[in-house]
Amino acid sequence: MKRVIKFILNGNTVSAEVESHKMLLEVLRDTFELTGTKEGCGQGECGACTVLIDGVSINSCLYPVFEVEGKSVTTIEGLVGEGGKLHPIQEAFVARGGIQCGFCSPGMILSAKALLDENRAPSDEDIKRGISGNLCRCTGYVQIMDSIRDAASRLSGQD
Amino acid sequence: MTDYTFVGSEIPRPDAPDKAAGKALFISDLVKPGMLYGRIKYSEYAHARIKHIDTSKAERLPGVRAVITGYNTPEIRIGFMKDNFALKKDKVRQFRDEVAAVAATDPEIAKEAVDLIRVEYEELSGVFTPEDALKEGAPLIHEVDPRGKPRKDNVIQLPWNWSEGDVEKAKDASAFIVEDNYETQLIQQTCMGTAGCIAEFDLQSNLIIHSKTQIPYLAQNDFNQALVAMGLKGKSTRVIVPYLGGSFGTGLDTHGYEYITILLAYRTGRPVKILLNRVEEFSYLSPRQPSKTHIIQGCDKEGKLTFREVNMLLDNGAYVSWGATTPTVMLMPISTLYQVPNFKYHAKIVYTNNTYCQAMRGYGNPQATWAIENNMDQLAEKAGIDPLDFRIINRNEANTESFGFKITSCGLEECIRSVGDRLEWKKKRGKQKAKARGVGMASLFHTGGGCRIYRSDGTGIIMKLDDFGNVSVSTGGIEMGQGFNSALSIATAEALGVTPDKVSVVFGDTATCPWDVGTHASRGAYTSCNAAILAADKARKKIFDLAATHFMPRVKSILKERQKKDPNFEMPDFDFESPRDPSEFDLKGNSVFLREEPENPFLRISLGELLRAVHFRNQGTMIVTEAFYDPNNTMLDPKTGKGNLSATYTWGAQGAEVEVDLETGELKILNFVSANDVGRPINKQTIMGQFYGASVIGFGYALSEEIKLDKGRNMNPNFLDYKIFSARDLNFPLNIELIETNDPEGPFGAKGVGEPGLVPTAPAIGNAIYDAIGVRIKSLPITPEKILAALKEKDKK
Amino acid sequence: MKKFAYYQPKSLKEAYGLMEKQGGNAKYIAGGTDIIWRVKQGMTEAGALISLRGIEELAYIRLNGDLALGSMVPFRTIERDSSLAKAYPSLSEAVSLLANPQVRNVATVGGNLCNAAPSADCAPPLIVLDAILTLEGPGGKREVPIGDFFKGPGKMCMENTEVLTQIRLPKMAGNSGTSFLKKGRVSQDIAIVNAAAFLVMEGNLCRKCRLAVGAVAPVPLRLRDVEGMLENQEISTELLDRVAEKVEQAVSPITDVRSTAEYRRVLSGVLVKKAIREAHQRAGQQ
Repeated sequence: MKRVIKFILNGNTVSAEVESHKMLLEVLRDTFELTGTKEGCGQGECGACTVLIDGVSINSCLYPVFEVEGKSVTTIEGLVGEGGKLHPIQEAFVARGGIQCGFCSPGMILSAKALLDENRAPSDEDIKRGISGNLCRCTGYVQIMDSIRDAASRLSGQD
Repeated sequence: MTDYTFVGSEIPRPDAPDKAAGKALFISDLVKPGMLYGRIKYSEYAHARIKHIDTSKAERLPGVRAVITGYNTPEIRIGFMKDNFALKKDKVRQFRDEVAAVAATDPEIAKEAVDLIRVEYEELSGVFTPEDALKEGAPLIHEVDPRGKPRKDNVIQLPWNWSEGDVEKAKDASAFIVEDNYETQLIQQTCMGTAGCIAEFDLQSNLIIHSKTQIPYLAQNDFNQALVAMGLKGKSTRVIVPYLGGSFGTGLDTHGYEYITILLAYRTGRPVKILLNRVEEFSYLSPRQPSKTHIIQGCDKEGKLTFREVNMLLDNGAYVSWGATTPTVMLMPISTLYQVPNFKYHAKIVYTNNTYCQAMRGYGNPQATWAIENNMDQLAEKAGIDPLDFRIINRNEANTESFGFKITSCGLEECIRSVGDRLEWKKKRGKQKAKARGVGMASLFHTGGGCRIYRSDGTGIIMKLDDFGNVSVSTGGIEMGQGFNSALSIATAEALGVTPDKVSVVFGDTATCPWDVGTHASRGAYTSCNAAILAADKARKKIFDLAATHFMPRVKSILKERQKKDPNFEMPDFDFESPRDPSEFDLKGNSVFLREEPENPFLRISLGELLRAVHFRNQGTMIVTEAFYDPNNTMLDPKTGKGNLSATYTWGAQGAEVEVDLETGELKILNFVSANDVGRPINKQTIMGQFYGASVIGFGYALSEEIKLDKGRNMNPNFLDYKIFSARDLNFPLNIELIETNDPEGPFGAKGVGEPGLVPTAPAIGNAIYDAIGVRIKSLPITPEKILAALKEKDKK
Repeated sequence: MKKFAYYQPKSLKEAYGLMEKQGGNAKYIAGGTDIIWRVKQGMTEAGALISLRGIEELAYIRLNGDLALGSMVPFRTIERDSSLAKAYPSLSEAVSLLANPQVRNVATVGGNLCNAAPSADCAPPLIVLDAILTLEGPGGKREVPIGDFFKGPGKMCMENTEVLTQIRLPKMAGNSGTSFLKKGRVSQDIAIVNAAAFLVMEGNLCRKCRLAVGAVAPVPLRLRDVEGMLENQEISTELLDRVAEKVEQAVSPITDVRSTAEYRRVLSGVLVKKAIREAHQRAGQQ
């Protein structure tokens, strides 16, 4: 079955006709052509498809698209500001080596955002827990942890 | 030691911002107008005859544009022994076998169509261990060889026999000998970005293929041969490579799915994309070669190694691919890790109905090192010598040669000692058994200066300067996440005299980028940076030649302009007229200046200014230089088996402190340290990233990863059932040290370091467990199940 | 992926109506993190999914000495509820160890129980805490003690139209303690074995004991015979060793991709022992 759904996408109200069996991931990538959100496993295990819905991190590969009606979705593209200015978390990942192949990065960065939005001064344990749903095969997580610590201090500096 | 401006710094990689913003495009993100979606039907049996394929229902499904099988397409043979086929006919030999494929207007229709294809099989009995494959009367996986000659057994005829000296004599002369068996498992590369490609033909029937590959030129060659098989001899292939999403060896060969995509594109006349999902990635790509090793080593009374004898039995799986060539790399630690005066190495490779294997980071070295380094500890124990001391006694040294491997720089001793110090070896080794704690270590020896496994180990660079002093570097190498682009831009900047932000790396297009054998064997940065240095030198020469004529006149113009604007400006008294010599100039920080007066602000102009001056004039010129660097290494001689595969080698050591829970067998890592002879880091940040990342793959190999095959069927093809480390598993300090030996051949002294970080990780942990609880786990992964079972066995005795 | 219709009822009554209309062809969906994958892989047939997310009356936490937990409360909310953590630590711990943050942000206790995996992490704590489950359907409401809920791997005692609406836990007695432990191959895994314990102490003696273990039998298993060994006894090392032996005999684990039957058998005994020790310690702290 098809329906027109209306929701907020990266700050803009949008609508689209979608099919009932589609997950949010496909709709973001195909209908809205926002390819930053990736499919890594389709099973909710790797976190490459992480987006924020009303500020909360979810796996878009398992999120039925009808459920997004009226909600606010943030994808990695939504973190980039005016004139292509990167969000402080994105800047921290760039500065501290938190990105290698880049495939896990959008999901990882959004999980970091969800963590830092809730806890501005996370411990190392908090950080590991916060990204425990985001698999990375390249970095060994060490420089990702460095990046998130750096992001936390950048954001605190802003407060 | 020389001070460099950019080499050795921690500059953020140039590709990071796009990746952080979600703008970087991977194969999964690419679409082409009119593109169709391909999907493959795989075998339902490990071993069976194909009786009949009924594609009629699939063909009739609306939206399906092509259905192909081995029966309605030209035969395309793949693999270096040509025993594999893009689409299988007559027989399937593994669950991975591609039996049919469809192209449809959307992925869901393609999947439905694949389900509608009916294949009738006659099941054959299968063999699932190399031992069974060797038995008398075992079913033949391949009844004929690629030339059609009947085969008599499942043994693959590859010349994997090497020896030096007299092992038997050395055995008699040994004071201590130990012998044991070791095994390693199948593991998967698990790139986060899964495999795929998009193929299309132009109006002249030339092929353009976007693919997730590490070997654009060797792939181009393979695809050209496929075109010949398709009746398109003389047509060309262009390979275009997007960002890879990780590779770890998966892109080191061409795959069935690529040829199938090509066939579908040709059949339909439209671009066709095949993208593997995660289950398909696990099930249908080629994992790391498993191994069964019998090892015997001996030493004299003083602990000096007398010989090493290694016999391996390798499960090749159904078709021959790079997994079968891992012995050529295993040869390296077997013959040369520590000083081994006599050695013998034989590897037997056997067809089975399991999955075949290809390349994975380390390419055989982790498998061999697992056996060698465990057995070294066993020998040290028998000889009554501390394992660290034992390694120092037998350490390799610089400026020596071992079985044709020319060791130039060697930081092994420093690495071993560094690991020992940071683990507090003397204080802890053998002293914490009451707490079920122990320390252990292992070393590594790997290629660091290219690797000549093909007729050329070369790489080309084209360096193009524009009117603004920007430098565009075209390379045949591939950025797969390892930091290749960063290393190349830093090396270019350093060698040329510009800043890294002026350098952009262009990669991944065989139409525009120069030839490169492939980004593998840790050779990417090493070869490309050396080529860049050569190209940069040529560019500097041209720049200074041009400066000899144009520098002073340009300076004069600038000063005259200034005088016009500011009448009070006093014109400096320079000799503008005398001819200059190129040797008078230098280029640094994007500016060309006179060597003799580096501080004089008037005697300096930007590179861009000079380039514009020489371009925008009558008979002007622009600067483009190129270089092809092929390292000074040699292939293994077919007769002697010897060859200096690499122009330099990396060394390293890793150590672990562990604690075992005696009730559950669970292992806790308390501390992990590593020390690595890297020559010199080009980018300190990305090189650390390589070692951290490799170590964590090493932990997975050691402790948690295993593809479980049940009669050839992959039973855990997803992340729920196949476990790699997540951030929470890194619950111990991981401390990595870089040792700089400043290699004479390496670019700025650097060695290639993509792989070594995961080579000795498993035996370092295994050796630590032995120190803790006196049991040695001999097969990977080391699991609580195995530890508990081994403890029970020990208690029985 | 197989196509399915997707309905979003606003009330239980509407949900029953939709379910009845679909015949046997529909399934309820909560957070979806189990069922979507099964439908994608063809392991579960569903022509329609009926979402329970829009039914507000199913999401609440009423902690008043005892606990009334709406089945659609996401794990996210439970793991952040410090009063609940204090009152029923084993439930809170089980929830926090389940899957990963993204999954916990949408997954629910109701969904975890109705998925009825033998390894369901929520089950052992709810078993030892004597949970009562409320099932509601077009025919009315009924209460089922959790011990009667699970019937086999993936099977529970519900009718197709019924919805699990509430999980109720009685107030924990004074001098009681509860614990939950889980082992996987890595930090984030389906349990190889999980276990929960609940003890009521009187001085040195254990007056009441509840033990449950998961992933080692067709259903999450209450260890009734083992519980008897502890009642009215002092908790000594020697007793716990005998308890572990009895647990090993009580379980019927299998070998699968995650672990072996032999190891699971031994680990069951060890985890139950550790769970008892921890529950005992917590009881002492009250």
